[in-house]
Amino acid sequence: MILTSSNTLENKEIIEYKGLVTGESLIGSNIYKDIFSGVRDVVGGRTTKYEEELGKARDIAFKSMEEKAKNLGANAIIGLKISYDNLGGTMGNTILVTAYGTAIKFE
Amino acid sequence: MVPQSNSNKMKIKGKEIDLKNIGKIILSIALGTGIGLIVYGIFLYFNIAIFGWNLGLIFAPLAAGYVETVVANRILGRNLGAISAFILFIDTTVYSFILKNPTLGTNLITAGSIIVILQAAFPTLINYILLVIIGAIISNLSWSFKKIIRTLKKIKSHIRWETENIEEEIIEEDIYFDENESNERLNSLNFFFITSTDMENRKHELLGIYQSEVVIENKVKIKLKDDELEKKNLKNIKEGKDKCLINLSKKIKEAGGNGILDLHIQYGLIGLGTDYIHITATGMGINILKE
Repeated sequence: MILTSSNTLENKEIIEYKGLVTGESLIGSNIYKDIFSGVRDVVGGRTTKYEEELGKARDIAFKSMEEKAKNLGANAIIGLKISYDNLGGTMGNTILVTAYGTAIKFE
Repeated sequence: MVPQSNSNKMKIKGKEIDLKNIGKIILSIALGTGIGLIVYGIFLYFNIAIFGWNLGLIFAPLAAGYVETVVANRILGRNLGAISAFILFIDTTVYSFILKNPTLGTNLITAGSIIVILQAAFPTLINYILLVIIGAIISNLSWSFKKIIRTLKKIKSHIRWETENIEEEIIEEDIYFDENESNERLNSLNFFFITSTDMENRKHELLGIYQSEVVIENKVKIKLKDDELEKKNLKNIKEGKDKCLINLSKKIKEAGGNGILDLHIQYGLIGLGTDYIHITATGMGINILKE
């Protein structure tokens, strides 16, 4: 599965637009993780735990999106967009990760 | 008092006292007892009482013991151990509790006063009862209380466990979202949702900017830890997104279009205390021309 944020695939012809595919995931609302991440922020360290969680959330969103594309018979996703939105929660650390794009079939 | 058979001495509180002083001893005790009785009489006459308990029962033995001690110290050079106080205790108790009982009430003050009087009369015995027996009773009751609390907690946790199971089943049903069904529904609207800014090899006419909004409740705003709630919230977000896209497609279809280019889906918080999540879908409505 090729993923690209561009409109086209270089040297490849799009033969069919299969449709929209999306993937979403939510992280956060863990008071213990929030507190320790907050402490790390205060002392200026990197909140690696959150980086890991964000990475996992993004992977879940991508996986969900790719599965849908496969079910549609697509072999690539173009115009890929990823967004991270804060939904508040404990200490403002509930984050919605969304990924969406256009599933296509190319030759 | 233990008389010594081979001398003119007797022992009071372990101290030897010459029997020649017996008159002084009796005088001291008699004076103490007399003063105690007078004090008790005054308290009875004026009815100096709290909650029905005449304070003379306390102050009369005290006065008797005090006078006896002072007199004994003066004429004998030593105290006699407040014998008159004990006599007063017996007198007042017999009179108040058995013969007359004029002012006594059944209340906490009565109980406390009885303990004080008994403590004055039999200090060792009462202290033993207070410290050892009552202490043991309190300790035992405390242990029993803890046992009861533990049992109640066990019962509570058992009930809670069963309730949680039911709640989990309900939530499991409530948070399930069929991703594939959702995707098929969106892509079976005879409508092109295109996230790129152009369609390769497809001629189309532009209809203008279109957008659609949906607002849903934000369920995770102040929760400390509730994964199930997060899943339910995510389900609501996905449903909201689908609704938003379907509404957008309807708007464009009504304008004669059959697709949208450069589709953007955005999520944001609105409302006091971030009570709601708003979902917006925007893009360029198009009409893809048939070749």
